Amino acid sequence: MFTRDDAGILLLDLESQELELLTQLYAQLHELLAHDEMEVDADPLIQLMNMNGPTSIPKDPALARLFPNAYLDDAEAASDFRRFTEPDLRRKKLACVRDVLAQLQTFEEVSSLDSNQGQNWLLSLNDLRLVLGTRIGVGEQDEEEDEPELDPERDPGYFLYDYLTYLQGTLIELL
Amino acid sequence: MEVAEPVVLADVPWVTIVWNDPINLMTYVTYVFQTYFDYDEAKAQVLMLDVHHKGRAVVSSGSREEMERDVAAMHSYGLWATTQREDA
Repeated sequence: MFTRDDAGILLLDLESQELELLTQLYAQLHELLAHDEMEVDADPLIQLMNMNGPTSIPKDPALARLFPNAYLDDAEAASDFRRFTEPDLRRKKLACVRDVLAQLQTFEEVSSLDSNQGQNWLLSLNDLRLVLGTRIGVGEQDEEEDEPELDPERDPGYFLYDYLTYLQGTLIELL
Repeated sequence: MEVAEPVVLADVPWVTIVWNDPINLMTYVTYVFQTYFDYDEAKAQVLMLDVHHKGRAVVSSGSREEMERDVAAMHSYGLWATTQREDA
């Protein structure tokens, strides 16, 4: 969990199983984000103008949740927005994930984090929860309920989701 | 002779809307509104509760360019946001 010491330094304390679990989850998130990185357009001018992004929402529902449409009723505007912004957004998300993976590789039982590292944890834990939550269908069963009812017995995905929610919660409380 | 620019459409502001989703934590959404928009905690909480209970909330308004910037920022935090004309 995340804590602060008396001097206000952000600390992360992970058991060895947590470290192993998070390393696996982050590696999977990295693969998901890096897997279909758009083929880079060969035209340097197009590259320079950052116009080489995709024009339609990802087919994978989890990626569609990370890269949603910016316009509801204007397909052309949504497509233009995506073309100009999605490559940058994807790069930012990947940079966050890569930073946390690097932290995990040199992790000691309790590690202190600077504010930039803390921010990268916050954003990437949220992306992990969005991907996992979409995969296990959080919110689809109990639309009337405020909080989805999680049954760890039913699906190991629920256990992981619950754990990530807990971990992110301890970080948000400190910000 | 100078011709006046038509200003009719330019006067209609654009808005950024954040939509409810079952995954983002309420505390996280509040944190994002405080951090990115620099709203105080009370305002951020009202907006978060609007998102949660009404399914959506207008979180900012301005030019289309500004709203696209806000939407991109919301997406970078993992919030589901769209932009449209205020009267749409």
